[in-house]
Amino acid sequence: MSQLPRFWNLGWSSFLDWWSNSPVVSEQESSPLYGQQQLNETFLDHGEGQQFLTKAFQVILEEVLCKGTDVKEKVCDWREPEDLAALLDLELRENGESQHQLLKRVQDVAKYSVKTNHPRFFNQLFAGVDYHALAGRFLTEALNTSQYTYEVAPVFVLMEEEVLSKLRSLVGWTHGDGIFCPGGTVSNMYAMNLARFRAFPEVKVKGQWALPRLAVFASQEVCHYSVMKAAAFQGIGTENVFKVNVDDRGCMNPEDLCEKIELAKSQGAVPFFVHATSGTTVKGAFDPLESIADICERLGLWMHVDAAWGGSVLLSNEHRHLMKGVERADSVTWNPHKMMLTGLQCSAILLKDTTDLLKHCHCADATYLFQQDKFYDKSLDTGDKSIQCGRKVDCLKLWLMWKAVGSKGLEGRVDRAFAHVRYLVEEMKRREGFQLIWEPEFVNVCFWFIPPSLRGDENSPDYQDRLSKVAPTIKERMMKQGTMMVGYQPHGGRVNFFRMIVISPQVSHEDMTFFLDEIERLGKDL
Amino acid sequence: QDMLIFDHNTAVLGTSWFTGHISVVLFSGVDFLMEFKPKGKRPPVLVDGVTLNGPTLDIREAESFLRDAMPIIMEEAVRKATDVKEKVCEWRSPEQLKEVLDLELRDGGEANPKILQRCRDAIRYSVKTGHPRFFNQLYAGLDPYSLVGRFITEALNPSLYTYEVAPVFILTEEAVLKKMIEIIGWTEGGDGLFSPGGSVSNMYAVNVARYQRCPNVKELGLSAMPRLVMFTSEECHYSVAKAAAFLGIGTKNVYVIRSDKRGKMIPAEFEKQVQRAKDEGALPFMVNATAGTTILGAFDPLEEIADICERHSLWMHVDACWGGAALMSNQHRHLLKGIHRADSVAWNPHKMLLAGLQCCAFMVRGQTDILQRCHSANASYLFQQDKFYDISYDTGDKSIQCSRKPDAFKFWLMWKALGTKGLEERVDRALAMARYLAEEIKKREGFRLVMEPEYANVCFWYIPPSLRSTPEGPEFWKRVHVAPVVKERMMKKGSMLVGYQPHGDKVNFFRQIIISPQVSREDMDFLLDEINTLGKDL
Repeated sequence: MSQLPRFWNLGWSSFLDWWSNSPVVSEQESSPLYGQQQLNETFLDHGEGQQFLTKAFQVILEEVLCKGTDVKEKVCDWREPEDLAALLDLELRENGESQHQLLKRVQDVAKYSVKTNHPRFFNQLFAGVDYHALAGRFLTEALNTSQYTYEVAPVFVLMEEEVLSKLRSLVGWTHGDGIFCPGGTVSNMYAMNLARFRAFPEVKVKGQWALPRLAVFASQEVCHYSVMKAAAFQGIGTENVFKVNVDDRGCMNPEDLCEKIELAKSQGAVPFFVHATSGTTVKGAFDPLESIADICERLGLWMHVDAAWGGSVLLSNEHRHLMKGVERADSVTWNPHKMMLTGLQCSAILLKDTTDLLKHCHCADATYLFQQDKFYDKSLDTGDKSIQCGRKVDCLKLWLMWKAVGSKGLEGRVDRAFAHVRYLVEEMKRREGFQLIWEPEFVNVCFWFIPPSLRGDENSPDYQDRLSKVAPTIKERMMKQGTMMVGYQPHGGRVNFFRMIVISPQVSHEDMTFFLDEIERLGKDL
Repeated sequence: QDMLIFDHNTAVLGTSWFTGHISVVLFSGVDFLMEFKPKGKRPPVLVDGVTLNGPTLDIREAESFLRDAMPIIMEEAVRKATDVKEKVCEWRSPEQLKEVLDLELRDGGEANPKILQRCRDAIRYSVKTGHPRFFNQLYAGLDPYSLVGRFITEALNPSLYTYEVAPVFILTEEAVLKKMIEIIGWTEGGDGLFSPGGSVSNMYAVNVARYQRCPNVKELGLSAMPRLVMFTSEECHYSVAKAAAFLGIGTKNVYVIRSDKRGKMIPAEFEKQVQRAKDEGALPFMVNATAGTTILGAFDPLEEIADICERHSLWMHVDACWGGAALMSNQHRHLLKGIHRADSVAWNPHKMLLAGLQCCAFMVRGQTDILQRCHSANASYLFQQDKFYDISYDTGDKSIQCSRKPDAFKFWLMWKALGTKGLEERVDRALAMARYLAEEIKKREGFRLVMEPEYANVCFWYIPPSLRSTPEGPEFWKRVHVAPVVKERMMKKGSMLVGYQPHGDKVNFFRQIIISPQVSREDMDFLLDEINTLGKDL
């Protein structure tokens, strides 16, 4: 509060006196001052801005999209955090910078960012780029609107409805509801909240205290992440998530589900929600949905299928059997930003419900957005179904890509990813030093690389310990050289192993061969 | 065409190429079909009927598509969309629009020229929120630097969980948060993250406050806790109610505090409500104070609220999603006096600072790892403990999300371009514009201010000529209900967009929001003229 504005000192009326006596009011071309502000002209030079946009777009096109997807270029240009911070000159200062300087920044950002579109980026459950989707994303950013009312987002309200209905039809539902969410974790949270609300509508008003202790069920494969976050966030508590055993492949054991339900009941908890997974994060396992649905139907439990990762198999006639029984679920999470390449974020929660549960569960009836006396059909103001207020438009990129590629084209991509995995697995089996952990059911290929020095040493007491150090070292080397990126983790009692994910249509079988050669090269001296 | 059983080893590694197709049955159910081409070229590999050679995507074609799409976006969605001479919206009824857009998704794909036409259509029928006469929401305008930042992040497509996949964006988020924390005035420092919307930021606040009071709520859930009660003013954003419902606290356990006639929380009422909760045997744990309410733009008295919070050991959260921008201005930051005493703050640079949707910071005070402790789930596949770099840079487990958009970056780039001074000038200008409009409203017949604006919300009624001689009474107020009709007419004409709502005991009034630096004084005059033009026959 260092300096008061000069007119504030004198009071507003004295300012007005000054202003109404000053000639500038009557002369349009001169600029009246208002609290030291010029109000006549616009304060933003769009010509200059657009020039910058055009130049920056060239950089994005060349550095990010052409070089970033070129197999001959690096996947990443590793810098230690301190070095990178210095290179980027992060500090925000009093004064602005020239366009020239800013363009240099755009270049730096492109240079030091990881190229997730690169054919040799295998690190996450997303990779590759679809150009039609990308155009949709640029467009979304330029149009900058929020998906709450038909009034401000007419095109996108209708588009979201269409896309959701298409996704639902692939699940096998002719009717239903749904919404796009900021990520699969939030979609899963929606499912848990809706299930709780359906079972105990009073929870919305009275809170968890009006309810008995609740019990959630999920397989031990997935219990480590979003289910736990959801249970904690929604006040259910992580200890009330019962971990259901899995078989060797990581699929939920339905008999154990029944047992865990009985266990929960015996502890006085009330089961209400079963979280099944189609495509687990590490193993890519698919829970047996038919058997789970039988149990849920018998006991009246909400069946949620987290198909954030695996949902894309529904596009493929050949592979959709992996999700047999999904149409019996109450809700499904599906992230097209993963295998369908729409770009982050694009996550849908799909519902079988036709009773407007989503709205009833989440509405708060804000009068300033959802006026009841609007001149159009208010049911198009879908924003009150959401837990958000402002909500990004995530449907345009998916819709545009789907229009360009068609369902057939999307199916082709899924089939191709599976084929790559079959190829990679067979290659791996023929090479010494690659030990596959499971036959993949999906596109997650989990394996150990056994360096020559460890081969045949399986029985030595420090074998596991030494093996656990192999993946981190290879990972460090690949990142520092920028040749590729692949993830690793310890999991379920197994020491660090690689998890290779193949999804991008830019990947060729040569990249698979390269991948194996590169692991060998980076790890042969370990 | 020869079909041979072929040794897989040779098929892939062999060096002598044949012409023709060779089917290799290797293991049950899988056919490797090798199509060999003569010399030089690598042999295509077919697995399950899918060719695996070379990328399926023609990068040149893709590049040329983007080169074609970009001028359309620049011309239609940027240049024309911000041109005051163009329409703000091109109204179509839902039925008409469905027809025009041909939304159905089919089996076959469409050629690029068709897709470009679809882009044009999407732009044409979308509301131009960057238009100088879009006054409808708490966001407006278009900043070119932020837009470049957004194009970069869309093209790079990172997810903000680890330094490994998002080194630049982890660091820029940290730099932006550091600066925002400094501006809030937390000399002891703070922590934070960007969340998908202010509502989610407020949810974070409730969750963190609850965790701080009852750390075992994370494991045991609310059933094992005493009944928790939170406080907020009647003018607060509806997200507080959504948060209470979503987090299992229940809307009934949000005790609503009366506001004064300017829309500010009454501190004495707050203290009364705290006492009420205690008398009932409930456990009060937090207050949500609002800096810049949604409708009136009111600022709660933060100093007095902080005193009460200290007395009762309550978590003080300030929802400054809308009003936080005033902190950028030396002239106006007094509106948030006392914010440095808050335990947490939500502030959306996508509103008045024009960073573009979504850009929402949630910050907590002090050197604390509470965000991490409260939200972590320790996924072993993302947050490996044996990484080769400092894993404190892997900030993703602070979040309730898994993948997270790098929302801070566009703000960082824009801030670099404009400097703190440039941002300050924008805020000063927007608030000066609001003052100008308020004075104009007072001067003009047929317009009546709901209250003197304190911020960029200018709330007013339009009184059509037919009513001007009616004495002010119940009949008058019943008939002042003209905003919906004026709104319908302006949308169908596409001349501008401004919001309205009933509020408390007040009938529908307009809420004019001034943000965009592109807005000029003439646009303010236009607003009033246009409302009069559209509503004078009512």
